[in-house]
Amino acid sequence: MLKAIQHAGQAAFLGVERLFNRIFGDEQNPFYYLGAIAYYLLWVVVGSGLYLYIFFQTGVSEAYASVEYLTREQWWLGGILRSFHRYASDAMVLAMVLHLVRHYAFDHYRSFRWFSWVSGLILLWLTYITGINGYMLPWDQTAQFVTVATAEWLDWLPVFQGALIRNFITPEAINDRLFSLLSFLHIGFPLGVLALLWVHTQRVPGAKTTPPRPVWIGVTLALLVLSLVKPAVSGPAADLTAAPMVIPIDWFYLPVYPLIYLWSPGAVWLVVGGATLLLLALPWLPPKRASRDDLHLMVHPDNRIIPARPGETILEAVLREGIAFPYECRNGGCGQCKCTVLYGPVEQGPHQESALSADERAKGMVLACSATPTADIEIEYLPLALPGGVRPREYAAKVVAMHKATSDVMIVTLRVEGGEPIRFYAGQYINIMLPDGEQRSFSFATAPHVNDEIELQIRHIAGGRFTTHVFAAMKVGDTVRFEGPLGSFFLREDSQKPIIFVAGATGFAPVKSMVEHAFHVGMKRKMILYWGVRSLSDLYCPDLPKQWAALHPNFTFVPVLSAPQPADQWTGRTGLVHEAILADFPNLAGHQIYACGSAKMVEAAHPAFKSHGLQQDDCFSDAFRLAPHLQRKTEDADMVKLGGTR
Amino acid sequence: MAGTTQRSPAARIVNYALQAVCYAAFIGVVGYFATSPPYVHLPEGQALVKLTFQHAGQRKEACHERTPEELAKLAPNMRAATVCPRERAPVAVEIEMDGKPLFAVVAPPTGLSKDGASTVYRRLAIPAGEHRFVAKMKDTVAGDFGFVGSRTVDLKSGRILVIDFDAKDGWVFRG
Repeated sequence: MLKAIQHAGQAAFLGVERLFNRIFGDEQNPFYYLGAIAYYLLWVVVGSGLYLYIFFQTGVSEAYASVEYLTREQWWLGGILRSFHRYASDAMVLAMVLHLVRHYAFDHYRSFRWFSWVSGLILLWLTYITGINGYMLPWDQTAQFVTVATAEWLDWLPVFQGALIRNFITPEAINDRLFSLLSFLHIGFPLGVLALLWVHTQRVPGAKTTPPRPVWIGVTLALLVLSLVKPAVSGPAADLTAAPMVIPIDWFYLPVYPLIYLWSPGAVWLVVGGATLLLLALPWLPPKRASRDDLHLMVHPDNRIIPARPGETILEAVLREGIAFPYECRNGGCGQCKCTVLYGPVEQGPHQESALSADERAKGMVLACSATPTADIEIEYLPLALPGGVRPREYAAKVVAMHKATSDVMIVTLRVEGGEPIRFYAGQYINIMLPDGEQRSFSFATAPHVNDEIELQIRHIAGGRFTTHVFAAMKVGDTVRFEGPLGSFFLREDSQKPIIFVAGATGFAPVKSMVEHAFHVGMKRKMILYWGVRSLSDLYCPDLPKQWAALHPNFTFVPVLSAPQPADQWTGRTGLVHEAILADFPNLAGHQIYACGSAKMVEAAHPAFKSHGLQQDDCFSDAFRLAPHLQRKTEDADMVKLGGTR
Repeated sequence: MAGTTQRSPAARIVNYALQAVCYAAFIGVVGYFATSPPYVHLPEGQALVKLTFQHAGQRKEACHERTPEELAKLAPNMRAATVCPRERAPVAVEIEMDGKPLFAVVAPPTGLSKDGASTVYRRLAIPAGEHRFVAKMKDTVAGDFGFVGSRTVDLKSGRILVIDFDAKDGWVFRG
């Protein structure tokens, strides 16, 4: 039954949104910005209310007279703003209710979304209280009805038992202090709405609080037209010796008020209280989804492994982790968040057919905003913007130097053609573009300030197509094309926490970029580099980190060999690199870790670090495949950035 | 994506016109339901009687002196010679209109010890016109209605008659 209601709701919303997409365009469809429109309308209500408050007088006769002055004598501004205040409040309730119903229809209220659902309901209550309170202020017949009806409704509660209404029983019972109290409440409740709204939206990654400009302009103009065509006016002044007989009631705010008299105050409490409790409990009521464990997403081109909560869409997961993923409507309408699922199952939720063609679906593409992973997945998206607004683009570069550091590591230096400097963040990477369109990823080994030349550290992969070319055929003077900078694995400079760098084999390259950048900008944070390799010969430039350590007291270098050869005569640290770190740092709370190496290394290290107190926000990794995918392949075959896959 | 599709000028004008129609529908809904349909709170030809009072009934039991035996059973610091039970009698009220019962209620005392005032509020819609009201109150356990008041009032349509009670002045009719 509930599923049928939800399906009907989805069909209704998708149908209306399809129509609106044709009229407004899928990036300006007001139905995709219901929450943001409600937010915007709140600002309109607050702004117009502040102006009205300047002229509002808190007295029994003054309240009515001052509102009449605004409406009649100052109709050209005060009157229009009063109408704005009234109609924007009504439109806000409309937007909030539609926002809530849409989330219900699309089943976006369970699991981790319970907080947004519950805080949204409380917001709705607070908005109603604020609006009802506002209707008391002009002290006309509607205000009298609302005040008396509210008192009669509240008087049903055992705490009042008929005592509250005695304050509104005769004209003599009312005094000026009532209006001071009502004004105070009319400021206090909206402040509560603003505070809770802030919490409500902070919990939603990438929540939009402003609708697109054409939408807010359209809404504002519409409200202006309404204010001119049908200005909000007061009725006759309140008179407690006579009952208001016919009331121009606001059905957005006062729909239950007639029921107080049609049924009884107790029955209305039962219905309103019951409905509220039912709505509050909805996230935990059946039908329950099968519970799933937390999942992981491997995200390219960032090469980041991020967690996803059960029921969370791909877009929610990536935005929560701070990935600059492209998106716009978040409702399966615009197609901006299209991405390719490279591996793993997803459930593609309801969306507009126009946003994802059959061809795209056949190619494994999904809409991140409405696709939910059902197991660990690997995705790739086209980044539109990267940290700091550095956009990736295509470059041509010449090979200006090649140096074989070890038998299987080549250090290649590129110079961008035209001498154009390339802006990037320490830790980012480039994609070398092969003639057939395939790409191979390599990290910048140079720091950003060395932007005339780019150093790459390329490890030879047996059978690897590109790396074999590098070792066998590439020569100084060759031209390569690449795309970059890419990736969100970069040094965070907005922290004071000590840094632990974890490099596995040629994972040293981005670490070198980050460390040299840190020295260049005079970073004083404590830095420790753990470089894990198999044997001493794999430590392809051991002198460099030793020099750093000699020159910079805040830097320490710890090489770790996992399989030292007898000839190495190694007396230093041995074993797995992450185990060496855990031995030195039983408690990692208060540290930042940057890990770059094989997926196997990161896969083993990440949970171990977390279990030793490392905060999720302080763990930056640059691994190359998810575990399930990895299990079927060799470690080398999965190393994308360290030398290509073939 | 529709949003990025290039449209001809004519198509754009049609589009803007359709957007205007949507916004007109939006303000039509907001503007209409902001005041309409009107709610008939009290039909023409009707008036209201509002019975309201807060009155503490008499104590259910009078104060009495404890006997020496009763005092001896109490802790030394609790040996007050006079004891006054706190519980009050419920307040019974009857309202008659034109000689016929209009409303009757027995309001219990409030408070955990039932020693608070009894409170009553009732909103009664009646036909407009001249009516004679009689209000009676009994605030003791035994005995008859100790407080009786009456008034003839010509209530026009929509007018409110407030029937209140004041311990000093008795029944008060305002309207």
